[in-house]
Amino acid sequence: MSIIELDGLQVRLGGRIVLDGLKGDLHGNAIGLLGPNGAGKSTLINTLLGFHTPSRGTARVFGLDTQRDRARIRQRVGYMPENDSFIGNMTGVRFVRYMAEISGLPAAEALERAHEALFYVGLGEVRYRKISTYSLGMKQLIKLAQALAHGPQLLILDEPTNGLDPMARQRMIHTLQEIRKEGSIRLLISSHLLPDIDETCDEVLILKDGRIAALSNIEEERRSHQNFIELETAGPADEFCDTLRALGCECASFAGGRIKLVMPGSMEPHNLYVMASQKGLQIRRIHRRRDSLEDIFMRAMELDPERSELVRL
Amino acid sequence: MSVYKREYRAYTGTLTPLWARVGVVSRYALGEAWSSRITVGLFTISMLPVIIYLTGIFLANNALARVLVLRGNPLLEINAAYFMKVLSTQCWLALVLTAWIAPRLVSFDLTDNALPILLSRPLSRFGYVFGKFIALFSCLSLVTWIPALLLFAYQGYSSSTPWLGSNLRIASGLFLGSLLWITFLAILGLALSSWVKWRAVATGVIFAAVLVPAGVGGIVTAILRTRWGFLLNLPVMMTQLWQSFLGAPQSMPERLRLPSAAIVIALAAVCLICVAMLNARIRAREVVRG
Repeated sequence: MSIIELDGLQVRLGGRIVLDGLKGDLHGNAIGLLGPNGAGKSTLINTLLGFHTPSRGTARVFGLDTQRDRARIRQRVGYMPENDSFIGNMTGVRFVRYMAEISGLPAAEALERAHEALFYVGLGEVRYRKISTYSLGMKQLIKLAQALAHGPQLLILDEPTNGLDPMARQRMIHTLQEIRKEGSIRLLISSHLLPDIDETCDEVLILKDGRIAALSNIEEERRSHQNFIELETAGPADEFCDTLRALGCECASFAGGRIKLVMPGSMEPHNLYVMASQKGLQIRRIHRRRDSLEDIFMRAMELDPERSELVRL
Repeated sequence: MSVYKREYRAYTGTLTPLWARVGVVSRYALGEAWSSRITVGLFTISMLPVIIYLTGIFLANNALARVLVLRGNPLLEINAAYFMKVLSTQCWLALVLTAWIAPRLVSFDLTDNALPILLSRPLSRFGYVFGKFIALFSCLSLVTWIPALLLFAYQGYSSSTPWLGSNLRIASGLFLGSLLWITFLAILGLALSSWVKWRAVATGVIFAAVLVPAGVGGIVTAILRTRWGFLLNLPVMMTQLWQSFLGAPQSMPERLRLPSAAIVIALAAVCLICVAMLNARIRAREVVRG
């Protein structure tokens, strides 16, 4: 069953089209929502939560319409927003309990689960401190705890590692991996950081300028691109790429003579040296590896070369 | 499951009905309001006039006290005018409480941008505002119509003559007058608090919203020699309304009195503006323009 179904979804905000004609079904256990800043990731999340009304088309979560069945969707969803969002005057446990009660848990259950959620995300020791005294990392974790406390079936996380130091980021990623592994909860993670999605998700929806640039299963993509090679070259890289394409390679060239290519099964790496010498191109470094999310993303962005320049990892 | 077992566990128990979520918002809002010692202090101060009025009723109805304390002075008569004093005292104290409590109910949520999280739950914007409204309305009820009606009941109980039956208009006036005022105050307080980030400033703005237009209205009335300037003067409008509800003598000369319908329309218009302000502000996201 699809977790999220988009059917020609268009969303206008302030007269501007922010999402345009999104179409697709998302099935994965952990779905990554990827795209450069301003691509429409947060708008899509807000639409799924029923905050924005589609100007055309529909969006469904667990088969429920985001407008008609808003309350039922929100009952089954936990949401962790991108920016700071909490009540600083409350203690951690009171805040999480409050959120769980609003989600429909009876008071006693809500309190029990608030404690559990706070221990689960690693805030057990500071749960009686006011949230305003928490560090940035703790504030991210309390947002995660409140999203988990009522036992949602889908957890929507908007830039969960925003502003975290490397240690805190790793902890957050690890927690998300655990949740994914546990299996009873689906994840929709929005980020503009590819490694976050790479480490946590099995399906990715890439947005660009409010449109779907790619929707793919990361694992399948990886399996289908075994012969992935990165080259660092000096010389006529574009000409070399054209030659490779003519031989059936998928090839993309980047600034500084960087070339990424996927060879067909019939081709061997030494063929590259032969062709490079014919074209007067120096191959200074060759690196053979499996396709990564970065490449899926780059390919998705390739339609607009200017954009691909902006996405630096 | 013990809390030390850090594993995720889905919730499979029963859920409270949707309408009960408004009650949760109210309960937490009340908790927030009463967590401040200043709220407790203001509430205590608001009860002092009630004790004084209670003493007055006791003295007026106790023959021995009338002789010993009042020495037969007939000035202390328990009637509509007396309850008008009760009502106006308590209602203005309610304004002070509103100015303190309303910002506490809303600004904490807005300062830390809690609305996206709150409204991503099965709780509508109306439900959220209504929950806060109920909390504020309850607090204000404790210092307005509840003590006023208790005083009325006490007067009915302690009067030697059959007083209660012939003065039921006072009771309904106390209830209706308080209800109108605290509903107005609650909406005004929440609307203004939702637009001002700092609580201290919000408190000042609530007072200013009542008192500044009153001054402007007074100037308009004096310069233009028209009674319609009083439509900006909330104290004058409410006093006139309360007096007519209670059947107490009107303090305003006939030529300056506003039609009750005009007062009600003016109050309703302010309430509508406040609702529009709340509608614009209580959102999970900022509205993107242009």
